[in-house]
Amino acid sequence: MNEVSLLYNFLAVGAILFALGLVGFLVRRNLIVMFLCAELMLQGVAVSLIGFGRYHGSQGAAGAWGGQMLVIFIITVAACEAGIAMALILMLARRCGVLDSASWQELREEGQPAYVDLQVPEERVEDRVWPQLTPAGIRPKVGPESEVHRPRV
Amino acid sequence: MTPILAALPQWQEVLRCPTFWALATGALGLWMLLPTRFRLGRSLGSLLLAVAGGLFAYDLPLLGLWVDQGVFWLLALVAIGGGVAMIASRSPIYSAIWFALSLLGTAGLFLFNGAEFLGVATIVVYAGAIVVTFLFVIMLAQPEGHTAYDRLTWGGLPKVLGVVTAGLLIGVLTFFLGRLKDETKKPLSAEAIAQAQTNLLASDGILAEKHVANLGRHLFSEQLVSIELAGTLLLVALVGAIAMVMHGRPRLAQRIEEALR
Repeated sequence: MNEVSLLYNFLAVGAILFALGLVGFLVRRNLIVMFLCAELMLQGVAVSLIGFGRYHGSQGAAGAWGGQMLVIFIITVAACEAGIAMALILMLARRCGVLDSASWQELREEGQPAYVDLQVPEERVEDRVWPQLTPAGIRPKVGPESEVHRPRV
Repeated sequence: MTPILAALPQWQEVLRCPTFWALATGALGLWMLLPTRFRLGRSLGSLLLAVAGGLFAYDLPLLGLWVDQGVFWLLALVAIGGGVAMIASRSPIYSAIWFALSLLGTAGLFLFNGAEFLGVATIVVYAGAIVVTFLFVIMLAQPEGHTAYDRLTWGGLPKVLGVVTAGLLIGVLTFFLGRLKDETKKPLSAEAIAQAQTNLLASDGILAEKHVANLGRHLFSEQLVSIELAGTLLLVALVGAIAMVMHGRPRLAQRIEEALR
């Protein structure tokens, strides 16, 4: 296998994953989705590091295991980060009831104009889908009103 | 070292490069896929992203073996497709599930590159623990399902700027990898390939049989201080998370006193 091509391909995939996480973090407003995007950026960096480690291993370099060591510490830090962020998000959601990061814009700098949504788009019918589990066992009787979409479960 | 400005390509070269067009169509497709009021956004955006992925893959250097190439493209497709679907889906639950799929792709890429322990650890720690915790928090914090702010972004201009920034970021990174790509075009001698295989399969190589033993030896000899620090960090994070959730609640003795009263 051409090891330099392998390195190039892995660096490209890592860059794409990082950029996707960056876009999501800048654009999405749900606190949880923003956090998932930060994790995706970490994954992009990890893919690049593994690619570098493999390349240096194929060249017989002494520090070839360094890439994998760094990824182990990335996973550790990501686990800490997830724990802290979960607690933080739960606390914020308990205070104001929503996961919208715009509801914390009270913290902005003095003199900055508030961000106001101009127009909230309607929820489309095709978006009203929920993840479903595969049915197991006997199916209980379901009334017709339970089968329609419930906006507030 | 050549100055950066002198190394910049002419605009004719840029227009002839498939990666440039891949990034342009990809940015447009991603812009359409993100939460928007535009009706046809989803199908058209996915189509544009597929075209962009094809162009980008066309410009990547080949690995040399068709089996390896196919496996790599499949894993990269799963990882990147999961990431795109994660930032494009309206429901945070779907986002978390797509992120788990993307993690499966990256874990496969780790396995592909000989990082067996890390591939399994990614599935166990990320997909098994972090994503499930995310799902719990979504259920606790947002029980009413779909919300308006999942269908909104920060407005038109920030969305365009975000997408353009991502395209430019990938463009700059691949541009500075240009010399590496020139390296891949040189024909490889059989000795170089055999030497790389020997290096990888040596007793301390990345693809050696005793992978976890080697990893553990390096981890507990060269990185001993770092691993102690990482353990301390985990402990501090645990204490911090509990303290954050407990903050503001009355103390246990006070609660018992109130209950007895």
